[in-house]
This record gives sequence, structure tokens and C-alpha cells, in this order.
Amino acid sequence: MKKISLTVNGKLYQVEVEEDMRLLDLLRDKLGFTGVKEGCSEGECGACSVIMDGKLVTSCLIMAFQAEGKEIITIEGLQKEDGTLHPIQQAFLEEGAVQCGFCTPAMVLAAKALLDKNPHPTDEEIKEGISGNLCRCTGYAKIVSSVKKAAEYLNKGGK
Amino acid sequence: MKKRGKGIACIFYGTGYGNGFPDVSRAYAELQPDGKVAIYTGATEVGQGAKTALSQIPAEVLGLTVDDIIFINEDTSITPDAGTAAATRQTYNTGNAIKMAAEELKKELINIAVKELGLNSDAGLEMKDGKIYLKILPDKCITLAQIAAKQSEPLRTFATFTAQTVQIDPETGQGAPYWPYTFSACAVEVEVDTETGQVEIIKAAHAQDVGRAINPKMIEGQMEGGFAMAMGYVLYEDLGLENGRIWNNKLSTYIIPTAMDMPEIQNIIVEDPESTAPYGAKGIGEPVMIPVGPAILNAIYDAVGVRMTEIPVTPMKLLQAIREKEKQGA
Ligand code: FES
Ligand code: FES
Repeated sequence: MKKISLTVNGKLYQVEVEEDMRLLDLLRDKLGFTGVKEGCSEGECGACSVIMDGKLVTSCLIMAFQAEGKEIITIEGLQKEDGTLHPIQQAFLEEGAVQCGFCTPAMVLAAKALLDKNPHPTDEEIKEGISGNLCRCTGYAKIVSSVKKAAEYLNKGGK
Repeated sequence: MKKRGKGIACIFYGTGYGNGFPDVSRAYAELQPDGKVAIYTGATEVGQGAKTALSQIPAEVLGLTVDDIIFINEDTSITPDAGTAAATRQTYNTGNAIKMAAEELKKELINIAVKELGLNSDAGLEMKDGKIYLKILPDKCITLAQIAAKQSEPLRTFATFTAQTVQIDPETGQGAPYWPYTFSACAVEVEVDTETGQVEIIKAAHAQDVGRAINPKMIEGQMEGGFAMAMGYVLYEDLGLENGRIWNNKLSTYIIPTAMDMPEIQNIIVEDPESTAPYGAKGIGEPVMIPVGPAILNAIYDAVGVRMTEIPVTPMKLLQAIREKEKQGA
């Protein structure tokens, strides 16, 4: 057992973790952030993605103790306290970019990681930005157009 | 060398269980105390948009908004059986059952309104925005919430829809095994790299007959998803099944398309209302995928002149076929 402290969605947590625990399990099972999904468990599908210190990472490939002192954002951290959706979430909703929804939390985070760095991405850059996240339902077109729309919302100063 | 080719394919697809198999959907419509209407049905949402489309249908019948429909599904302890979310059947079958239950409820509500408003007949009564009113004298009006308050138990209607399918003649293979059918067509342009055997889809157009588009955006989503799935099926996805063992049992070896693989797709929604369908709408879940594969294979043929008869068309298989053809030509 190891004691670590980390910030998730702006809140500080101090937790005991086993040495062999993955960040994915810490977030889902110990801290209850079930918006983090487990798909392949081997870094291929991206469903478990979270933002760690500004970078999109696959939480199935990171050990929990490696999150010591890190700042993590999961999908639960995106919507405002009053329940207003984040502009990216809003755009996904409006564009119909969600079908079964399994890829969606991580897709939204992938979009956020991209837009935080590149507020005016081209279609190609968007496709590249979400290419580590597999979606079996949508064929990605509506996801790409959502990210475009979200970029417009964010550039107008949030919605 | 890079060679381009174009291919098209079209298909028809019988939706529902078919072949005389009983294909039944059931639904309740129930007036709520606040004037909203709850729909109870066993139809399952798996991401195809059943909840949305099947809420839009009763909203249309009852003159309500989708927000006024409380859609309760999947809970088998309180919903009637509506069959599986399979065979592209929920929009048509369950859509019909829900439409019938909602129409039945509307009839009852109108009858109550006639009595409550002291009218001679239901002629000219309109139902809209949670109210029933007389068109020629809108002050003669009662809200659905007012009607609900007058009931000792919730007003509830039930409907069953059974699709018409006939078993085919086992000897001649003739008959009408499905109803309705839906039609799709797809055209693609590919670029084949004759050095590597790689196939890239440059552009695609995808047309789907939907009867009537209840939710165009969701239809496009299904079409794009079906295209991606077919593209993976035809070009990348190989289970590697050998003696009952699946070799490619991980996403690191079983390759499915990413956003980067997707070409630009032009969606064409063809509306030709089906007379037995709810507002003419037919299901499209499975058919959207079907013409894509043959269209790609035809485009490959057009590009390099080889007929691929086994999928996925991996670079290795395609190279082999191209080499063989060259040998024959030499
Ligand atoms: S579960 Fe982590 S990448 Fe698939
Ligand atoms: S919406 Fe189903 S996997 Fe993306």
C-alpha cells in the first residue's frame, strides 16, 4: 500500500493505493468516476482516457501511484456546478455525435485536450486528435463536426 | 503505382423477423397527472436512437413536444414485450404499436373532452400543446392535466402490432417472407497502391431509403456508422479464426477504423413513405452497412482489374491477386 495525493476535477484526494493498481481502477472503483470506461485494457481503444496535467492519457496503462501530485480531469469535471454542459458536451448533443455512448466521455476529453492546445483545428487535425479513441457506432463524422462546433463556441467565449 | 477506381452497389433488405415468424410489439400509453404522456414499451435502446424516434412518434400523434413524452423502456417488470432490438424492426414494429396506443389514448381523451365541455360531437376538436379545444371557439378548452385530475385511476391504453409476414413455400422458395423492404445504394472511389496493396477510400456517397425520416440527424449517424463498420469489415477486420480459435482477439491486432481512416461521405436520405409504417418510417439499422462492401470490392476491380472474393481485402491478399493477374497477362 502506498499513500498518494492527487487532484481530480479540482478536488484534492488522499488515498491509499495498492502498488499494482491502475489509475483506471483508482478513478472508477475507489473514487467513483465511472465516466472513465474500460474497453480494451491495453491502450488501444482510448475509452479510459483522462486528462492528466493537460495531456490526454490512457488510464489503463498508468499505475495509480504514478498519479501522485497530478491534476486529473475526467468527464465528471466538465459540466458546470449548476448543471450547464461544457460547450464540447453541448456540441456533441446538438450534432448527434453520441450513439451507444461508450466512447463518448473519452471522446469529449480528447476534444478538450485538442482544443485547449489548438483552438482552431482543421478537420484533419481533429481527426488526428481523436484518432486514439475508437468509436464503433458513429463513423466519426458527427464527432468531427461536434468538435468543430465546440471550437466555435469556445472561441466565442464559451456558451 | 497508385490506381483509382469507382464502384457501386445496391441492395434490398427485408426488415423484421420475417418468414412467417410472429413479429409482435406492444406498448402502453398513459396520461400522467401533469398532462404529460408516458409510453411503456420493452424496446431496447442500444444507441440506435430508439428512445428518441419512439418518443417523436407519440408526440406527433398527441400534439405534444418530445419533452412531454416520458419514455419508459427496458424495465421488464413494468413494460410490455416489444421484441428484440434486432432485425431493423423497432422503428417500424414498436413505432406502430406506440402510434396505435397513442391514437387510442387520443380517442379516449377526445371522448372525455366532449363530455366535460358539454359538446354535441367531437367534430372540430383539436388536441395541441397539452390542451383539447374547439377550433371554432377556442375558449371551449380543457387541459390534459385537468382531464387527468378527474380520473380515479390513470388513463391507460394498450396496443399490439403484429407485422405481416408469410412463410415462403418450402418447395418453390416463393412468397412474401418480409414486409417491408428497404433499399440502399453506395458508391465509392478508391485508390489502390499496387506496390503495397493498400486500399484507400477517397470519397463515398451513400443513399438509404427510409420511408420517412423521423430524425434525419440520427439517420445520418446510422449511415456513417454503418459505412465505417462495413469499411472495417471489408478492408481491415480479420478475426483469424483457426480451429475454433480467434487469433486476433484484441484491438491491437483486430483493426477497426479510426477517425483518420474515414473518407468524406455524402449521405442521401431517400423518402418514400411506407403505407403500413408509422408515419411511413422504416428501419435502417442493418441495411446501411450492406451495399458498402460490394461497392468497395467493385471499385477495387475497377482500379486494378482483380475480383476479390474473400474479405478482408488485406494488402497481402490484394498484392498476391495483382501479381497473379500480372503473371497471367505476361
Ligand atoms: S481501456 Fe485503456 S485504452 Fe482501452
Ligand atoms: S457511440 Fe458507441 S462507441 Fe462511440
